[in-house]
Amino acid sequence: MLRKVLGLVTLVAVVLGTFGSAFAQSELVIWADDTRAPVLEELGKQFEAEFGVAVKVQQLGFGDIRDQFKTAAPAGEGPDIIIGAHDWLGELTQSGLLEPLVLDEAFLANFAPAALQGFTFNSTLYGLPYATENVAFLYNPELVETTPATWDEVFALSQMLVKEGKSKYGFVRQEGDPYHFFPIQTAFGGYVFGFDEDGNYNPEDLGVDSEGSIAALTWWENFVKAGLQPQAVDYDVMHNLFEAGDAAMIVTGPWALDRIRKSGVPYVVSPTFPEGAEGVAGKPFLGVQGFMVSSFSKNKELAVAFLTEFVASEDIEVTIKVGDKEMMGYPMYLLGLSRPSAYLPALQANEDPDFVAYGLAGTEALPMPAIPQMGAVWSSWGNAVTAVTQGTETAADAFTKAAEQIRTQLAGN
Amino acid sequence: MSAVKTSASGGASSTGGSALIGRLVQIAILVAIDLFAAFLVINLARDGIWEFAIFLALVTLFVNVIQFRKELFPIRWISPALVLMGVMVIYPILYTVYVSLTNYSDGNFLTKTQVINQVSRERFLPEGGAVFDYVAYRNEAGEFALLLTNSAGEAFFARVGAPLEAVKPDAEGKFADTIDGFTVLPRSERFSALATLSALSFGPEDQPLQISSGKARALQPRFIYDSAKDSFTDRLDGKVYFADDTIGFFVNVADYEAALAADPNTRISSFYLATPTFAQGAGYRVLVGANNFTRFFTSPAIRGPLLQIFTWTVTFALVSVFSTFALGLLIALLLQADTPAKRVFRTLLIVPYAIPALIAVSTWRGMLNPNMGVIGSTLSDILGYQIPVFSDATWAKVAILLINLWLGYPYFMLVCSGALAAIPSDMYEAAQVDGANTLQQFRFLTLPLLLVSVGPLLIASFTFNFNNFVIIEAFNKGLPPILDTPTAAGQTDILISYAFRLAFGSGRGADFGLASAITIVIFAIVAGITMLQFRFTRQWEETSKNV
Amino acid sequence: MSSMSLAQNSKRKRGEGNYAQQKLFWKVVRVLVLTFFVFFALFPAVWVLSASFNPSQSMSSQTLIPRNVTSVDQLLVNYRVLFETPRYPFFRWVLNSVIVASITSVLTVMITALSAYSFSRFRFFGRQGLMLFILLVQVFPNLLAMVAIFLMLQQIGQYLPFLGLNTQGGLILVYVGGGMGINIWLMKGFFDSVPRDIDESAQVDGATHWQTYWLLIFPLVRPILIVVGILSFVGTFNEFVLARVLLRDINSWTLMVGLWGFVSDNFGQNWGIFAAGSVIGALPTLLVYLFFQDQIVGGLTQGAVKG
Repeated sequence: MLRKVLGLVTLVAVVLGTFGSAFAQSELVIWADDTRAPVLEELGKQFEAEFGVAVKVQQLGFGDIRDQFKTAAPAGEGPDIIIGAHDWLGELTQSGLLEPLVLDEAFLANFAPAALQGFTFNSTLYGLPYATENVAFLYNPELVETTPATWDEVFALSQMLVKEGKSKYGFVRQEGDPYHFFPIQTAFGGYVFGFDEDGNYNPEDLGVDSEGSIAALTWWENFVKAGLQPQAVDYDVMHNLFEAGDAAMIVTGPWALDRIRKSGVPYVVSPTFPEGAEGVAGKPFLGVQGFMVSSFSKNKELAVAFLTEFVASEDIEVTIKVGDKEMMGYPMYLLGLSRPSAYLPALQANEDPDFVAYGLAGTEALPMPAIPQMGAVWSSWGNAVTAVTQGTETAADAFTKAAEQIRTQLAGN
Repeated sequence: MSAVKTSASGGASSTGGSALIGRLVQIAILVAIDLFAAFLVINLARDGIWEFAIFLALVTLFVNVIQFRKELFPIRWISPALVLMGVMVIYPILYTVYVSLTNYSDGNFLTKTQVINQVSRERFLPEGGAVFDYVAYRNEAGEFALLLTNSAGEAFFARVGAPLEAVKPDAEGKFADTIDGFTVLPRSERFSALATLSALSFGPEDQPLQISSGKARALQPRFIYDSAKDSFTDRLDGKVYFADDTIGFFVNVADYEAALAADPNTRISSFYLATPTFAQGAGYRVLVGANNFTRFFTSPAIRGPLLQIFTWTVTFALVSVFSTFALGLLIALLLQADTPAKRVFRTLLIVPYAIPALIAVSTWRGMLNPNMGVIGSTLSDILGYQIPVFSDATWAKVAILLINLWLGYPYFMLVCSGALAAIPSDMYEAAQVDGANTLQQFRFLTLPLLLVSVGPLLIASFTFNFNNFVIIEAFNKGLPPILDTPTAAGQTDILISYAFRLAFGSGRGADFGLASAITIVIFAIVAGITMLQFRFTRQWEETSKNV
Repeated sequence: MSSMSLAQNSKRKRGEGNYAQQKLFWKVVRVLVLTFFVFFALFPAVWVLSASFNPSQSMSSQTLIPRNVTSVDQLLVNYRVLFETPRYPFFRWVLNSVIVASITSVLTVMITALSAYSFSRFRFFGRQGLMLFILLVQVFPNLLAMVAIFLMLQQIGQYLPFLGLNTQGGLILVYVGGGMGINIWLMKGFFDSVPRDIDESAQVDGATHWQTYWLLIFPLVRPILIVVGILSFVGTFNEFVLARVLLRDINSWTLMVGLWGFVSDNFGQNWGIFAAGSVIGALPTLLVYLFFQDQIVGGLTQGAVKG
């Protein structure tokens, strides 16, 4: 009796089991973060109406896109296209997750060369850039007349502002963040990784403890010792101080423009950075954002066509609604609204002086290293800057120790 | 007497009836479960997902066995829990153990089959290979054809598996919309046809044209896979790449040896080398034995701040458990006693529990900021100096413990309220008759009884806090930093936050193999502590029997 | 000896007169202590509430009464983003969370109570070992289990779409499976405190184990069932680490996944919106608690214990 029941069970299960197969559809799945997803959703609707191909936009946190893509793509659950930053290239291409893009010279001529360079890894293009970002030096014109020429001037000016009681603080930095420290470091001749003959980052040449880097951190150490930097300043606190008029100068990126404008504080985005002791202007890191096609996509040709013939074309003007605002334009123009666009016609069309200034501040920018060794650098480098800000280490000690940590890790198995 | 007997026998017969029904229901459920499981197992096996199929089959077998063995009766009650735990907890644990024995990390995410497929798919344009712009055509049978044009001004019509036919435009330079029954594809269908189009080969079979990146190209496969030798041959330069299953890469032996000769430390088993010139394609997952464990134990990390971090982790977990338990119990006791407005207190005091930890920690972080935060700035006004909550190790730890107390006490308040209510009131009456005062009652009656049910939760709370990644990351990312160590670490880092920085931020990308190995080491530590505590729990159980 | 009895005597004498006064004194102390704790508990909570009405999206510069707010419109700006952004099906998220959390907690209570009864009432070979096993499995640090769970649900989902990725069924299964171990222990301890005479007398009357369990013990331990239910409800309601990996469609998100989206960006953190969502998200938990709190502290049904 029992055997019969179990036999029947197996039979039914086998029959049911043969119905399990899925079939492929003409559909594009895109992963985007919360700032791009609304625009892409609208573009997708337009695309579907025009061409009958559904575009499904799935929203993830920016960092989550990269992390989850690694698991989802090989499992066949991944998207066709992801939005991401150029410094993901090293890890993603190395794992065979991205599809190389072969595109026309004429088509690529529309994009900022630095942005394309960012999405090129081992001489192969892996992404279509839509925006670039870099930090710039901002000041409050009611407190500071013009961009100080040197960081020493920034120091002196800060002291003066505080002494005269014009504002609570002069220049204020985000405590440990090395990304925002980089323009100061480079102004004094410091660097993180040097370049090899081909102009690629050379992981053998670590510059965290180079003379220039230590000089920059020493400048900062003196600034902190002079009592000019308040305690426990994170991104949020720094902005609150600036927006309340309590801080006269900061270094921040275009992503913060929204909140600064809302606060109503007068501000100027400086197109240049102050110079270091040796007369070198500071260079920020350049980040590039763009579209990448998954090598596990079942619709690669479609994905590429969507990007080149729809997103980056000027055939179809689309209307999107973001918040209460309705905007009309070509897709690339709409994608590049809150950052300097990587698409040259859109960049030239954007007359917003702040974005122009950000673009100028980024002309000399160094691309954020996409080499995997960078992963070993961030925490140690940041910790060193934090320790000096908190007054627990001297500049020379902090960077020497940090460099030792990084070298140990890079040499580790 | 006889009345009792009747009722007893009546009860027995009705029990017999319901027992039969119960048995039938049981079999029906079992059959349903078996059906369900068999369906899954067969499908999984068919698709080659053997690990999971076997695991599920074993779980199902277990469920069946316990239904038919009388002495396993008590297990039947536990089986729903065991099955669910088996699938959702134990299987992931086994998976973690498996991953810890592999090189699963950035650069080695794929399976070997996936890498072979990917490399086989790679194509190249041979010297002089044709590239055309194309327009797609389709006939009524749904077959596709392409109208090709190139920069030399030539034009061809290409069908699948047939030679190219030269075509000429009309006087205005335009091509006909219909050629041989094929009509040009309307604009609206251009994209939806791409999936089909890109899978086809047009033109003669020996020199097929394929659609790639918006053009028709005469592409050729670049690598030829030889399954007997398990190797790829590159048609561009004739190099041969053999699968090296110890490191999970296809490797050109001569190049590899040359690289080794140049630098004996050359490795490609990890992500460290960004461009291994002697390997082809992405790496794949292979078993690497205890390699990850060896790496962890011999790495400079272990000689670094590990002892300091371990001490803080244990302190953090212990203090958190006892502070939250003590406060939770105190409040539960206060609320049990005769106190006015109990309901109001009880409701207000549970509020922290209803607020997500993430925003709670951020709020605390903001409030403690010595410049702008309400608590931080008030304290610095009163004290005349700023408490270095974010830059001094001790203060940062105090702050974290305070926040964790706030987050955690409602849990114990809730549990203790329930457990206190369960202590039969006649026990207190008896104790009072025996002359025990309030403190004695608490010490000898309430606490032991409470610990029977709450004791295991203390252990659980300990292990939860031992691995409480969220609060550490959200408060200050483990900072302030420790710089005198071989690896980047923070004063408030606990074992798990430090371990994850090692596995994911050490310049090799995400290293799941190493992370899994570390997880297992941490598990061994926590499990050891738990076993120790388990002995106390058994004592509690004894105590409760004596009460 | 004598001094002690003297003290007791005098205490008793004085106690007669001061008893009411003393009682009142302790009552006042209790209220004061509780009030202090309420202050500790609510202070940050009020701050979250205030942040939800603050348009500035910042957590560090806030004042209790939001500055620079000139109209009700500004006051409600965070709530409006939640309610009125068409892309964000906020109430759908709340509903999803409530559904997932409710089903999870009911299933958890049912399944753990069965196991706990068995562990408490039966003595069988391997009982201690099994209990230890359940506890140990529970302490495994599961930050990494996500990858395994993701792959598993993806595999199941190919054949049983309603339990796969992106479904609430799958998510519930994961939650129920993961949250069981410690609750079994909690309940077992509780079952232990129910006198065995109750079972035994029922069984003498001819009841089966099932009848004893279902008709007698189960109703008797209602307080702990509710405690476990609430613990499981709140735990599930606030979970986002797994949910954000397993749920992809914005319509299937739970509330916490949706809110996480507002602060997961490095630079554009919308704490105000997160706060507003948290305030609303806290309501179901508080309501559940309000509804059940009498049951939790109500204790065992007195008659049953004595009978």
